[in-house]
Amino acid sequence: MIFWVWVFGLIYAGLLVFASLKSYKKNRSSEEFMMAGSNIGLTLGVLTFAAALFSTFTFLGMPDFFRINGVGAWIFLAVSDGAMVFLLLWFGYHIRNKVKGMEFRGVSGLITRCYENKLAGYVFFLSAFLFLIPYVGIQIQGIAIFMDAAFPGSFPAWGWSAGIVLIMLVYSEIGGLKAIIFSDAIQGLLLLAVIWIIGWACLNHFGGIGPMFDKIGTVQEDLLSTPGPQGLLTPQFLIASLIAILMIPVTQPQFTTRIVVMKSMKTMQLMAVSLGAFAILVILPTIFIGMYGADLYSEYGRDEFFANAFLYDQPDAVAALAIIGLIAAGLSTTNAQIFALGSELRGLLRGNESSIMRNTKIGIFVFSVIAFFFSIIVFDQLVLLARVSFAGTGIMGPMIILGILSDRKVSPAIIYLSLVGLIVFLSSLAGFIPDMYFGLRLDLLLFIILGLVAVISHLTGKKLQLISPEKDQ
Amino acid sequence: MEKKRLYWRICCIAAIFLCILTFTPLVIPQGIATPELAGVPYSLWTSFIITVLLVVLTYIGTRVHPGMQNEEEDV
Repeated sequence: MIFWVWVFGLIYAGLLVFASLKSYKKNRSSEEFMMAGSNIGLTLGVLTFAAALFSTFTFLGMPDFFRINGVGAWIFLAVSDGAMVFLLLWFGYHIRNKVKGMEFRGVSGLITRCYENKLAGYVFFLSAFLFLIPYVGIQIQGIAIFMDAAFPGSFPAWGWSAGIVLIMLVYSEIGGLKAIIFSDAIQGLLLLAVIWIIGWACLNHFGGIGPMFDKIGTVQEDLLSTPGPQGLLTPQFLIASLIAILMIPVTQPQFTTRIVVMKSMKTMQLMAVSLGAFAILVILPTIFIGMYGADLYSEYGRDEFFANAFLYDQPDAVAALAIIGLIAAGLSTTNAQIFALGSELRGLLRGNESSIMRNTKIGIFVFSVIAFFFSIIVFDQLVLLARVSFAGTGIMGPMIILGILSDRKVSPAIIYLSLVGLIVFLSSLAGFIPDMYFGLRLDLLLFIILGLVAVISHLTGKKLQLISPEKDQ
Repeated sequence: MEKKRLYWRICCIAAIFLCILTFTPLVIPQGIATPELAGVPYSLWTSFIITVLLVVLTYIGTRVHPGMQNEEEDV
């Protein structure tokens, strides 16, 4: 296997170097570095959005989620992604119209301008920081665990994590957002190819889709329906997850940036459709891998399942591809997230352009170091931590949508309430307060309350009226 | 333009309807895996169809979204 890892690894590294150098320009402006010149075409757009969205969370997390919770996992992610691409069409149109003719400096900068209130930007940045960093950390950890299983004893897990962070920093520093987008395109295609090769091998283990579910029915019948053996996938959990995932393009800055940097409105819209098709294609084989795990490794822990299904049970070349595919999946998402945090920081900084750029780069470095430390200390199920990340940033959704869509002078109450919502959600995660109230999940309750506040704020907002020339006279 | 607006609204209503439908016992009857379709459990094949329909609706949305008209006029 080592031979194949070297072969695929060198090809992959070569492509990354090519992407970085192709994007490198001396004396580039900060706009070119941070926003890739806002001129991204359809194919690159789809692949970069997909690579940023489908990470180790999809590659490793979803097979594990199917293995433990059964077929309802499709509704958790695929149906939610289908709805998200429709929302992307609607929200993308509005945010692109909003930033037309102005320089986009991240959601924090935009939302500060919309509310004419700096606190709005700071609250958004805080939520992005708090919920993206642990998510980045656990993805780096996922790759490190996998590498440790592939090459036991060669490096400590933190060594692999440090290497990943270093690669990420180097090529984003050389090429900026454009290099990240080029490498995302490579990584998106690689992820799709690898997940299908392994998925297909797992399906062949059963001899087809029908026999696969027949076999699973005899192993653990609960996996074939909701809420699954652990009772997790209840309608309420799935609805709250749908809302959290719907809010991804609105509240996760790496996606909002990608919507804005698309070449035209039409390209952005076609990107949404293609992304929906891509989502189905990527999630489908994770069912096969999950069912394979349920059949053979139902009693195993997460790490043993990954190591067996992706490495030991596969031919050497496929196992090597899985390693490279996983690195690609993790790297593309983590660097998109870290870079987006840098972009958000840039939107909040004041001063001359060169000092803003310098501080942004320092910020990206600091975020990477914090994510590295998280990768060593955090331990959780990939999917559930990702879901917490989506829900945590999703709390900011009503504030952002109201700021962008409302044509009225709205009350700043939504900003303060979003901050309170964030603190309440964090308190429940820390175990200080319960996570269920009146039979409702706290995240769902927060979405409902903040959504209602946003609607009321809009309805009671003061209409902005232009003074007509007649009245003026 | 008015027609496009109407079609777009129909798309939005259909997307919301599909999302709501997903969380009813019609798609996720608790603990029931039948009737199967080509061996696929009930909740999986019904939710798969819903996912495909949402993507199709998104495609139709790109054709009827009233904003596209505005952009063409801008150009």
